[in-house]
Amino acid sequence: MVCLQAAGELEFFRPPLHSDPSVGATTKGRTGQLANSGDEALVALAQKGDRRAFEELIERHKHKAYHIAFGFTRDREEAKDLSQEAFLKVFTYLKKFDGRSSFYTWFYRIVVNVCLDYKRRAKRTSAGEFNETVENQMEPSHNPAQPMAPEQHVLAGQLSRKVDAALQTLPAKQRTAFILKNHQGLSIREIAETMETAEGTVKVHLHRAVSSLRQSLAELI
Amino acid sequence: MAQQTEPTATACPQLEADLVLLHYGDLSGVERQRLQSHTEQCAGCSVYLKELTGLMPLTVKIDTPPQEFWMDYSRELRHKIDASLENKFWWRPIAAFLTPRYLTAFATAATLILALTFTIGPGPWSSKHDLPEDELTEALPVAENLEFFRAMDVLDELELLEVMGNPANDAA
Repeated sequence: MVCLQAAGELEFFRPPLHSDPSVGATTKGRTGQLANSGDEALVALAQKGDRRAFEELIERHKHKAYHIAFGFTRDREEAKDLSQEAFLKVFTYLKKFDGRSSFYTWFYRIVVNVCLDYKRRAKRTSAGEFNETVENQMEPSHNPAQPMAPEQHVLAGQLSRKVDAALQTLPAKQRTAFILKNHQGLSIREIAETMETAEGTVKVHLHRAVSSLRQSLAELI
Repeated sequence: MAQQTEPTATACPQLEADLVLLHYGDLSGVERQRLQSHTEQCAGCSVYLKELTGLMPLTVKIDTPPQEFWMDYSRELRHKIDASLENKFWWRPIAAFLTPRYLTAFATAATLILALTFTIGPGPWSSKHDLPEDELTEALPVAENLEFFRAMDVLDELELLEVMGNPANDAA
């Protein structure tokens, strides 16, 4: 009986096929309805097995998740993989989400933890190779619409490597607080919720991170 | 590893943490005003704040992936979710056969096979063990002895018949 119930659940999770135009119209209406729903409503639907509701959550949070992961990895492919891994974890554990914190706080906590785990794994396997692909990416604060002169490109590359190295020397908690504040612009309260710590502790981590970076990047000042 | 040199500005040590929060706009109204008025008078704190304003944006690496990236992102993620579901419920194809209808069919088939095996076949208890050559030669004399004993039985029976057919024996 359990098997049958589970099989039914699997069918429910499968995306529906829309050969009938009227079904497509209904789906469009439903998509619009889901797009107007709040995170909590979508989470409730997804917890009951509604795959479309979960996909709406993905569409809503994928950019932010990706950019948080990018803040940690500074590599496009790694950031994509890690943020997707976070979504998979959410998909697996969504039924355990009890709504005590907001969905995005819970989700960003997962993203941060996935990134920190990855960083730890990368450190164990090959120390210092975490950011080898950095040079292939865009330079700090560079507007992709404006092409850089070759000497600017070299300088930007050097700057990027220095910043990367400085960020990698930060302890995990300091780096997390710094990335969530400096890169993502989260409030101290949001960071505290994401890191599951007190606001005062976040302020201390942030201050120490900024001081360390200021020391490391003093020559750029 | 970045080469470390001394930063240029030295802010008031007890206000450094607040200056960081001021830079990020995370101070409440009263505290912000108090610190702003302090930085107007304190050269160290003022320069420190300017350094943060100049330096911190350099640590941000802007990445704006194209639209195709996001489409691939969603598609890949959907595949990954499907794959995770397949992995999670790998036992379902097997479990699908455990429905009452299939169980009845399995039981019937198993009964039929067993019945045919006992009826047509040599039976599961028949010995499939052939005697090796040396054991066979030992077994043959025993078989000959058996023939001898059978012959003896026939003789006994003849003797018995003779006894039964002789009237003198009856009188005795």
